[in-house]
Amino acid sequence: MFSYLLKRLFIFIPTLLAISLFTFIISINAPGDPVETMLNQNVGGDGSSGEKLTNEKTYQTKRHELGFDLPLFYFSFTNATFPDTLYKIPKKAHREMLQRLSYKYGKWKNVSDYYHSLQKLENKIVEIEINEESTLPLRKLKDAVNVLYTNYSEEKISTTIKNIELNILQNGLLKKNCENEFNNFINSYHHLLIDKAVANKYIPVIYWYGLNNQYHRWISKFIQGDFGISFQDKRPVSSKIGDALKWSMILSISSIIIAYFIAIPLGVKSAIDKGKPSEKLISTGLFLLYSLPNFWVATLLIQFLGGGGLNWFPTFGLGSLSEGAPFWDRFWETAYHLILPLFCLTYASFAFISRQMRGGMLDILELDYIRTAKAKGLKKRVVVWKHAFKNSLMPIITLFANIFPMAISGSFIIEIIFSIPGMGQLTLSAIYARDYPIVFTVLMFTAILTLIGNLVADILYAYIDPRISFTIKK
Amino acid sequence: MNFIKSIVFRTKVKEEKALHLSNEREEFTGKENESYWRVVKKQFQKNKIAVWSLRIVYLFIIIAILADFLANEKPIAVKYNGNIYFPIFKEYVVDLGLSKWDKELVNVSWKELNYEWKILPLIPYLPKNIDFLNTSVSPFDEQQVISKKWKHWLGTDALGHDVLAGMIHGTRIALLVGIISMGIAALIGIFFGAIAGYYGDDQLKMSISSIILYSVGFVIALFYAFGARAYVLADALGNSFGNFLLELIISILLFLGILLVFQFFSFLLKKIPFLFQPITIPVDIIISRLIEVVVSIPRLFLIISIAAVVAKPSIFMVMMIIGLTTWTGIARFTRAELLRIRNLEYIEAAKALGYKEFRIIIKHALPNALSPILISIAFGIASAILIESTLSFIGIGVPAETITWGSLLAAARQDASAWWLAIFPGFAIFITVTIYNLIGEGLTDAMNPKLKQ
Repeated sequence: MFSYLLKRLFIFIPTLLAISLFTFIISINAPGDPVETMLNQNVGGDGSSGEKLTNEKTYQTKRHELGFDLPLFYFSFTNATFPDTLYKIPKKAHREMLQRLSYKYGKWKNVSDYYHSLQKLENKIVEIEINEESTLPLRKLKDAVNVLYTNYSEEKISTTIKNIELNILQNGLLKKNCENEFNNFINSYHHLLIDKAVANKYIPVIYWYGLNNQYHRWISKFIQGDFGISFQDKRPVSSKIGDALKWSMILSISSIIIAYFIAIPLGVKSAIDKGKPSEKLISTGLFLLYSLPNFWVATLLIQFLGGGGLNWFPTFGLGSLSEGAPFWDRFWETAYHLILPLFCLTYASFAFISRQMRGGMLDILELDYIRTAKAKGLKKRVVVWKHAFKNSLMPIITLFANIFPMAISGSFIIEIIFSIPGMGQLTLSAIYARDYPIVFTVLMFTAILTLIGNLVADILYAYIDPRISFTIKK
Repeated sequence: MNFIKSIVFRTKVKEEKALHLSNEREEFTGKENESYWRVVKKQFQKNKIAVWSLRIVYLFIIIAILADFLANEKPIAVKYNGNIYFPIFKEYVVDLGLSKWDKELVNVSWKELNYEWKILPLIPYLPKNIDFLNTSVSPFDEQQVISKKWKHWLGTDALGHDVLAGMIHGTRIALLVGIISMGIAALIGIFFGAIAGYYGDDQLKMSISSIILYSVGFVIALFYAFGARAYVLADALGNSFGNFLLELIISILLFLGILLVFQFFSFLLKKIPFLFQPITIPVDIIISRLIEVVVSIPRLFLIISIAAVVAKPSIFMVMMIIGLTTWTGIARFTRAELLRIRNLEYIEAAKALGYKEFRIIIKHALPNALSPILISIAFGIASAILIESTLSFIGIGVPAETITWGSLLAAARQDASAWWLAIFPGFAIFITVTIYNLIGEGLTDAMNPKLKQ
């Protein structure tokens, strides 16, 4: 048994690794720049030049602080057009533009020259802006440079360059100051166009980065229990998840308890009464309940029992009593708000469990030993509850494995519909805001709980049915 | 020789099948010649509810196919300026690029033209049409329409979209979601399940040389088919889904092509005796682990996080994601069934006759494993439709302009008094999910009569 446990726990490792890798891949491919998301909350600014320099600096420090200036993974497997130092380019948009260019033209050195000359041009503009005052042509030039920073199509780049030549650089002052830089830029661009190596992208290369990379940093901190900070409001992920988990757990656990308490007796009863009209009615009802989509039921309840109809129940949030209110007042207020969500969460699982229970019981009731027990003249109640019940629990145990992950993610949709600040809302808003520390942690925890649930179910099987043994191989 | 082989084999299979049936399905093998599927069909037809569910599915399929003719802003047939037109047919032809609209019919408001006569569709609206005069009207409200023909039978939403038209066109999406996502899931699931179940942990033997060559080939193929084409694929995805699919197929073909080249190499390497030593590969363990990994990620989280990341959402993307995440059930059933079947005598006979393993799996093993696969596909369609409508309900992954049952239902969340928005689309989802579940139950009962009794 012990060695079996160890073996199972050992299998956890590759599974968790796979899941963490998967989440990581999603997070790096997500659109948007996480550093910018995090900075945008407090850095407003009108984009004037002095601010720009400080912004650049805060961007760099923040990037370093979050570890985004490290390589992504232990190694990278790409084509020969990309250099091994690509990760050092700060902005994600720039990085993408450069990657596209070097993929297209094949020589990283030329692309890098192009980028540096563009940067020099931009620095010159900033310099002029600080020394002189900002004029309309200058601002136009700045916009054009920004266009160049994010575009990689030949057509777009050449029209922008033409635009700069014909319209903006007609201004004498501007022409005098940045003609040099601009000419350098044009030269590097032409060089890029002429000196091509298209075949380079078909040459595979592997770069080795070692342990100092983003994934390693992320996963090792996760193992140490440091889940990072949320990009949205800079609170630690663990405290945000803790708050949300409280509500999700209250909802899910009470719903699971209620469901089991009603479902098991009902399932047993309908198995015993098989064939009676009352049982047929119950079974049909259970089947219909089981097929009802819970978000539809929730919408209907809100429509008819909530605000739109009878207005019996609140349909939004958890009530507005302050922390200072007496405990029982707060308790009743919250409970009142939770009635509808709880109902929506419970009915489906309750229907499902009863059906499983009924199925399991029916199988058992047909076995010989039950017939013997009946023939012996035992009371029906004793036969059912003492002899059949324990053995019919098998299908229920499979369901029991789901309880653990259910506690986190089971009430996802219902929470969103009823605006309950639980894990559903937290995760959804985190996904929308590309707040990957939260998404990552939630996914990992749900996966861990699912694995634990499966393990617990297996152990329970062995407990209920001693014939199942983990030590002997088939 | 071949002829004799096949006769021997066929009788063997028949015997085996009969034996198989008589073991598991004693009561239904009264007539020896009766095929298994005929028995299943008979049993299924005894189940009135399941039969009716199947009929409703047929009805839905008809609605989905004819959606353009049932609810459309264009008339089915008109006489206009002395000519007879069939605008809806014409639109198909124009969409295919085979024809063009007449000058006088480009950019016209079909509703306001003066026809000599016309045949309108049952519902003279498209889901996207906006009726400014009737916003948020319930079916029982006074509606400002020209005649009863233009009435909004199931009301409109806050912008004036006709709900019934949305539901008719939504049928198409719901059915497509079920078919496409389960099609993908079945392909992947049956592939993995069959390999894991048929070979188990002890039957797949490969020489060291092929293992090395295949792993190198795999990496190289991955690089040329997907790595070097990454931007081509990304651009195609930004363009349109059809374009993406085309590029994806090219990539996959490239991938397989490169693997084939490496297989050819392995032919040459076989000359070296040391490298030819066979090793058994525990495919079952590997694939079971893979399934465990996929299963332990919460599916809805997974789908939502992928759908939120995709740059250009489309309904086909959602179908693909659902398919790629729900294949595990089918794989498990296939694996379990093949683990049983591979030990049966007729498979051994087929092996002894020297058939290729590929052929044995496809032609002899899989057909006998079909029943649990079919059952899990029926239930899978129900859950795929449920997932898609959940996603459109919370507004993830499905673009805003695509009208589905879920997005219609979501409109009810904005308007607390629009009961018609809450009832009708939700009911459509409920009915569809229920009938697929009922069909699944009916199939289960029909294929395992023992359970029913």
